[in-house]
Amino acid sequence: MEKVCITGIGAISAIGFSVNEQIDALRAGRNGLGHAKHFQSVYAQQLHFGEIDLSDEALRERVGNLEAPDLTRTSLIAIHAFQEAVNQAQLDQETLSSRRTGFISSSTVGGMCYTDHLYNDANNKETASQFVKSYEGSDHTLQIVRLFNIKGFTDTINTACSSSANAILLGCQLINAGKLDRVIVGGADCLAKYTVNGFNSLRILSENQCAPFDANRDGLNLGEAGAYLVLEKASIVGDKPILGYVSGWGNANDAFHPSATSDEARGPLLAMNAALNVAGLQANEIDYINAHGTGTQNNDQTESFAFQQLFDKVPPYNSTKSYTGHTLAAAGALEAIFTLSSLMHQELYPSLQVKETISDFEFQPIKSFQKGVALKHAQSNSFGFGGNCTSLILSACL
Amino acid sequence: MSDTRGALELEFKNHLIKYLNLLEVKPEDINNEEPLFGGDLGLDSIDSVELIVLLDREYGIKIKNPTDGRQILVNVNTIVDYIEANRTK
Amino acid sequence: MFVKDLYAISPQSTFNLTFEAGEVLEIVADRYLSHEPNYLEFIPAGQLRRMGKAVRMGIGAGLPLIQRNEPLDGIIIGSANGGLEDCIKFLNQIVDYEEGVLTPTNFVQSTPNALAGQLAILSTNSGYNCTHTNGSLAFENALIDTQLQLSQSADSTAFLVGAVEEISEYNYNIDTHAGRYKGEATSNSSLLSSKTDGTICGEGATTFVLTNNSTDAYAEIVDVTQITCPTKEELTEMIHVFLQENNLNTEDIDTIVLGNNGDGRLDFWYNDVVTPLFPTAQTLHYKQFVGNYRTVSAFGLYFTVQHMRRLIANTSQKRPKNALIYNHFDGVRHGFILVKNSAES
Repeated sequence: MEKVCITGIGAISAIGFSVNEQIDALRAGRNGLGHAKHFQSVYAQQLHFGEIDLSDEALRERVGNLEAPDLTRTSLIAIHAFQEAVNQAQLDQETLSSRRTGFISSSTVGGMCYTDHLYNDANNKETASQFVKSYEGSDHTLQIVRLFNIKGFTDTINTACSSSANAILLGCQLINAGKLDRVIVGGADCLAKYTVNGFNSLRILSENQCAPFDANRDGLNLGEAGAYLVLEKASIVGDKPILGYVSGWGNANDAFHPSATSDEARGPLLAMNAALNVAGLQANEIDYINAHGTGTQNNDQTESFAFQQLFDKVPPYNSTKSYTGHTLAAAGALEAIFTLSSLMHQELYPSLQVKETISDFEFQPIKSFQKGVALKHAQSNSFGFGGNCTSLILSACL
Repeated sequence: MSDTRGALELEFKNHLIKYLNLLEVKPEDINNEEPLFGGDLGLDSIDSVELIVLLDREYGIKIKNPTDGRQILVNVNTIVDYIEANRTK
Repeated sequence: MFVKDLYAISPQSTFNLTFEAGEVLEIVADRYLSHEPNYLEFIPAGQLRRMGKAVRMGIGAGLPLIQRNEPLDGIIIGSANGGLEDCIKFLNQIVDYEEGVLTPTNFVQSTPNALAGQLAILSTNSGYNCTHTNGSLAFENALIDTQLQLSQSADSTAFLVGAVEEISEYNYNIDTHAGRYKGEATSNSSLLSSKTDGTICGEGATTFVLTNNSTDAYAEIVDVTQITCPTKEELTEMIHVFLQENNLNTEDIDTIVLGNNGDGRLDFWYNDVVTPLFPTAQTLHYKQFVGNYRTVSAFGLYFTVQHMRRLIANTSQKRPKNALIYNHFDGVRHGFILVKNSAES
């Protein structure tokens, strides 16, 4: 089995427009949560969001004023992160267009982010908007395929909040099976009335900055992000720098409830154990966990329970959603990048907004920024509605 | 039982069937004292939110706190009592 | 990988196999709606009441296969749009009630992964679970995913794999705006010879049990591939490479199963680019039965396998040995499924 190497990363979120800007924010313990400036909604000033501080026009300018009038905010965010990742991995046009190069993206809101245009087009109210062919969940994938002339395997996954973790998983498996030499994997989601009202109807959005793993947490903050990783099989990397490895992956279904995790954390534990099994590691070899940690009562309780079951001694863990909010389909890839940053720089970032830890458990999340920590293997978890649970293991290139 | 009370109960049961899309259930099948949750109707937490929406849209009653909801959303009688006392439309 | 079982809910009476027995329904409409079974016979009423049509058809086509083939190791679904009716009902609530108090059911039901999730809950299947939404390649991608999962297991392993798409008033309006439909009532018996622009929209749920175990298999899915936005030359080249990778040449393919849908603007991909590559093959069509929708190639696979099983009555076509199923949508995304008759190997 060839090692799956990470040779490029790109991300944009509420805490920065590039990976480096976001690492600075993680080191400084600076979150990006607040009321919304660009997202139009009756909740803009009532709830907290992890909004990318750029208007659609500013985003369009930053990605190079592309000749495509039907790029939605989801697509613009995706393109922004995609460009950064392929530039770092030094993928030229010939490589991008090779049949041996794949692209797997993911999104939950996809092309349905402009609620009002969609409302008019779907209800036959007016003449068609410029977005009439852009509403599909996979529209942003198709836009990138066109703009970057990708000719190999392409896919879009929607397993709700674990979507881009599954994009990474599938990419690793395609490389492993010898189907592809390299694959760009990740996802994008933008703030949209659809998801904000959806999560609000389930009563799980917080009016405060979200506080994952705090005893008094009262819900999640929705965020927006794009995040992509370039994965390449070891034998073709050449002398390019290797940022780290994806060494384990596991996918399972909790099979309990459409929008809540079971008390015994069946799906999360199955996914975590499967990932350890693929990596050939014991639980005590995990040095750090980037938790799913949404800030809802249900998730943080059951995820903590899973840690208690899996580890004799729970390793340092945090939820970087305390910086970015829950970026839905992008979260798995974004958090894999943050996990990789910890491994690359041998440092741990604090979990923010934790005042009082959950009394049922003896362990607690990382409190402060720590440098010079020996980290070899790290776990990154993503659990979604529909019971979709995915756990990844990333390893340092030391 | 007054006619208005009976009419309100029937109206509420019809809303209940419509909002929760209860297949093959007729108003007369629902006993006023039968627990809505954990009983034969098989309602769950998502239904409790649907009921809160029903009370808001049909009777102008706002229940902010789901814990208050649990006291009110016990059976048809408890809900109709609450509607009679608190309706704004 | 091998097809061990299959089921379809479609605009034809496939759910009780009367379509296969030769009773092809003539449908004259601007959209071809599914002929659905009585779900209450096998879906609990408490669950059914919440399901939108996509989820309902998907559960209706998935659950019987799960029950007939337990235990299964996971569930993999392809759906471009999932429960679009619920989705836009929820969007309409957002606009009509100005983001006020909204009901969560439409939201929870509308996510494309709701089907795979509910199948997992209803069958307490905690195995691998994934939903592909890559437009008209969502089903091909689900097959490729399945192929990968099966290849990693030395033991006998089986997955439920399916595709679903529903017609909602809303996606009908959107796709009409986008110029995809004829708009006038058209008989399915004359759909493929139609000279007007656009196609007729269909819907359905098609499910398979796919396994790495050849015992009692109906057919073998030899390989699957796809390409987006190719030139004609690139598509031709891709087909040759695909066949070579599977140690086949064009003469080995005795049947091509094409996605012609009555939209003359895009038939050249089938008629002029692909057909001439296979001069010795017979051609099968299937969209005259079910109309066009994004994951309709799943029905193409269903139809091909039923042919291989000799279940299709009143046909003059030969029983396929090596079939290549080719479908594209808007001429943008192109998918290929290579199927071999197990009984002939």
